[in-house]
Amino acid sequence: MVNLTIDDKQVTAPRTATIYEAAKINGIKIPILCHDKKLKPFGACRMCLVEVEQMKGRQIPACTTPVTEGMIIRTTTPDIVKARKMVLELLLLNHPLDCPVCDKSGDCDLQNLTYEYKVNSNRFKDEKFNHTIDYNNPLIERDMNRCVLCGKCARICDEIVSYGALTFIDRGIETKIGCEFDDGLNCEFCGSCISVCPVGSLLARPFKHKARFWAMTKHTSVCSYCGTGCNLTLGVKDNKVLTTIYDEEQGFHKGQLCVRGRFGYQFINSTKRLTKPLIKKNGRLIESTWDEALELVAGRLKGGTEVAALATPRLTNEELALFKKLLLENIGTKNFDHAAGFAHAALTDGLEKSFGTPASSASILDIQKSDFLLVIKTDAYETHPVVGFEINMAVKNKGSKLNIISDKRGKLSKLPETNTFVHVPGSEVAVLNALAKIILDEKLVSAAAASVPGYAELEKALVPFSAEAVSVQSGIAAADIKKLAYEYAAAEKALIIFPIGQGYAGHAADLASAVANLAILTGKYDKEGCGVLCLSEKNNSQGAVDVGFYAQDGALGGLQILDACSTGTVKTLFIAGENPLTSYPDRSRVKAALEAVEFLVVSEMFLTETAAMADVVLPVCSFAEKDGTFTSTDRHVQYFKAAIRKSVQIKSDHEVFSALITLLGGTAPTSPSATFSEIASKTPGYSGLSHVSLRKDGAYAPVVITPSLVVTQVAPYKTVEQGKLAMVTGSALYHNGTLSQHGEGPMHVCPEGYIELSRADATAQKITDSDMINVSSSTGSMQLKVKVSPRMPAGVVFVPYHFSESPINTIWSGSPVTLVALAK
Amino acid sequence: MSDAVAQQTEELEPVIDLSIADTVIDKYIDIPGNLMPVLQGVQDEYGYIPRVVADHIAERLNVYPSQIYGVLTFYSQFHLKPRGKFIIRVCVGTACHVQGATRIVDTFFDKLHIGHAETSPDLRYTFEKVACLGACGMAPLAMVNDSTYGAMTVQKVEEIVADYNQRPLK
Repeated sequence: MVNLTIDDKQVTAPRTATIYEAAKINGIKIPILCHDKKLKPFGACRMCLVEVEQMKGRQIPACTTPVTEGMIIRTTTPDIVKARKMVLELLLLNHPLDCPVCDKSGDCDLQNLTYEYKVNSNRFKDEKFNHTIDYNNPLIERDMNRCVLCGKCARICDEIVSYGALTFIDRGIETKIGCEFDDGLNCEFCGSCISVCPVGSLLARPFKHKARFWAMTKHTSVCSYCGTGCNLTLGVKDNKVLTTIYDEEQGFHKGQLCVRGRFGYQFINSTKRLTKPLIKKNGRLIESTWDEALELVAGRLKGGTEVAALATPRLTNEELALFKKLLLENIGTKNFDHAAGFAHAALTDGLEKSFGTPASSASILDIQKSDFLLVIKTDAYETHPVVGFEINMAVKNKGSKLNIISDKRGKLSKLPETNTFVHVPGSEVAVLNALAKIILDEKLVSAAAASVPGYAELEKALVPFSAEAVSVQSGIAAADIKKLAYEYAAAEKALIIFPIGQGYAGHAADLASAVANLAILTGKYDKEGCGVLCLSEKNNSQGAVDVGFYAQDGALGGLQILDACSTGTVKTLFIAGENPLTSYPDRSRVKAALEAVEFLVVSEMFLTETAAMADVVLPVCSFAEKDGTFTSTDRHVQYFKAAIRKSVQIKSDHEVFSALITLLGGTAPTSPSATFSEIASKTPGYSGLSHVSLRKDGAYAPVVITPSLVVTQVAPYKTVEQGKLAMVTGSALYHNGTLSQHGEGPMHVCPEGYIELSRADATAQKITDSDMINVSSSTGSMQLKVKVSPRMPAGVVFVPYHFSESPINTIWSGSPVTLVALAK
Repeated sequence: MSDAVAQQTEELEPVIDLSIADTVIDKYIDIPGNLMPVLQGVQDEYGYIPRVVADHIAERLNVYPSQIYGVLTFYSQFHLKPRGKFIIRVCVGTACHVQGATRIVDTFFDKLHIGHAETSPDLRYTFEKVACLGACGMAPLAMVNDSTYGAMTVQKVEEIVADYNQRPLK
């Protein structure tokens, strides 16, 4: 700590602080325009000028100058105020004063500073700029006439997002922010640039002229897409969610969001939302009343084990727990599951066996504390973009070493000093086993590892996985595998990250255990910056596992429930929010099951293709219309309140389940917070938590680990036949599950399914970008649009699964790698 | 850019041989801070930096394409459009100006039918006005590629143009 004097006040600040930071810590405000605490100091705008006595009273920028012992600083002398006023005058010289029509008005740093410094006239005269406004994309409007060249957008796009869409182009008075060859913006549309823009140069087009900033009420919430658990601030007016608002103090991610979080909110107020319960009469869904619908459903739920349920892990913890209670206690069935059964197996089976608890041992906060990151599949960026930002920052700012084992390259591969080991699809578990074998053979294990149960069995089981043998199968050089194993073992803090989800059938129990084995063998599983981080797909996937909403004790799992529907053992199926017809593997199997089951109840926000097959459809509300808790992938339990009132005819799932419990003669809890008290009393790690205690920042539920080494099963190597390609499935950056289809933002930039193909395969088959081609597998065939991409290795194609219009489960039956043939 | 040049650029771009750029990139690939020498080397080879080459460099060097464009537009030494075989530069600095550089410039405009920083459609000439060529004693001064022509007159402009019109383009 150093001692210094700011405005005649004796203060202390960390040695590494800048003058701006030192002042901020001590409650002294220095105006800024180009500075952002998330970004490296830049010193472009000269608003933060201060006087330092030791520097002969010269005016120096506070945001780039580090503090030194004994510094005497003045932040508001008449000279400083005069200088700042002139900075503003010069900025306003070219900045158009179109505040009445600018969406930034009210939230604009330049406007606020002009007001604060009372700049009501300008001594200078110049012409305004006449740049063309970039309307080339549907989400981000770029008006360079308003730009003050603070460079925050270009810097955030480089330093945090690592996309680098924007840069300073030209020189001197001609300088502006632009893209390559001055084209329109074409990026991943996370909107980070919008969030940091201090003026109205970068604006969200979906929010254009929707409301004045000050007319909206701001409600904090938790994002309902992926499992990262990002916090949102929703801008609400007239009971409608109009936008998301940036708050740099919010969450671990400091307000950073991805395209889904920032632009995917429109499903909340979509006109396509269901507004009344529907009952199938004479083959058609007819609008009905809640009383009639619930009576009908309750009557059919009295079937005991003939009843089964599938729920989406987008529901709150309270709703999932209450649904489980309804099923177990009031109906009497254990047959319920979520996420097709296999998409949570990495947690409920893999990590449950390896760690003794179905949870990741590391948190997202560990990423930036780690010095060695091993990512399984570059898709971790696409599935969890904000986790991707954390990885970017760890590599770029903290110098963490990033290694990737993946079946394709990706954005993460482009980070500095990053090694991407591209393997033959489906061989990742074998590669992980080879790493474990080297660690065992070369005595790189930690002292405690030998006493972990399963050590001897694992050693024996790993015999076939020599680096050389696995090299042949995986296509990764044996020397690379050995080097990776040594580096992982040698790293002081090493973290392994892998995504799971309905598109990642290969990322199941065996992969999770193989990963956990590495961490346990080297003793890197429960220390800070170490461990295993399993990125669960949906916003409350971890919560669904924590409250136990999955098949246990020999009950039927997700896919078995569907088979039981087909065979007639399950007669009533309750689907809460899932859309198996699009997201579960093997469409014909799902369709047959839903057609065969006697009575199908679906509670949904939209009339999905699954809901359209139902006998009763119950309209339920979105996350923005209810209270509850979500548990993020690293067991961060977060409470959120309703941002808007739900329409009268819509109920929350909690209310639906409560009503059904009452109709079945049970006692329903009075409110979600009562249900949460019950969860807290029963769930390990949740004890002591309540809605009240979670209100501010939520809480991390502790993970207690009892390590075991687990022998994993490796799928036999599948040779790719001549003329066929290995198809891998997964998530697209712009989407999450099937919900994002109802968000206008994601649909603007990624409206339809596609097949990603290597340049080599495209040339060989004479296919070009945007061609429609026929993709056929052993289970079916479909038309998909081609995306030729440099990241795909030859012989491998990638297909995202989110789209109802192009459901890939017509050609995909749940296998990690599917062989497909392409035809024009 | 005149329409003719734009059309020519479009015609030229598809046949650009990236292997020439690769030879330059390979030379510098392991050196930190290699963007400038690569761009300079590539410009020496192609005469300018075509967009496909800029994108190719971005991919090979793992630099954002936008960043490359930022560098290309910052330095006046880089050119994004094809340039003429003969680059005529006429000094309009103080000494040359008082000796009548304006008339020299205007005569070149008349003879070549191109303006400042423009390239003739046949890619024979690029004309540039420059601030000072550092040989004020020879004012008014013009240069064609590396040849210097001092004490320029309107007559000499005609001679120079007649001379270079004769020279082969290939």
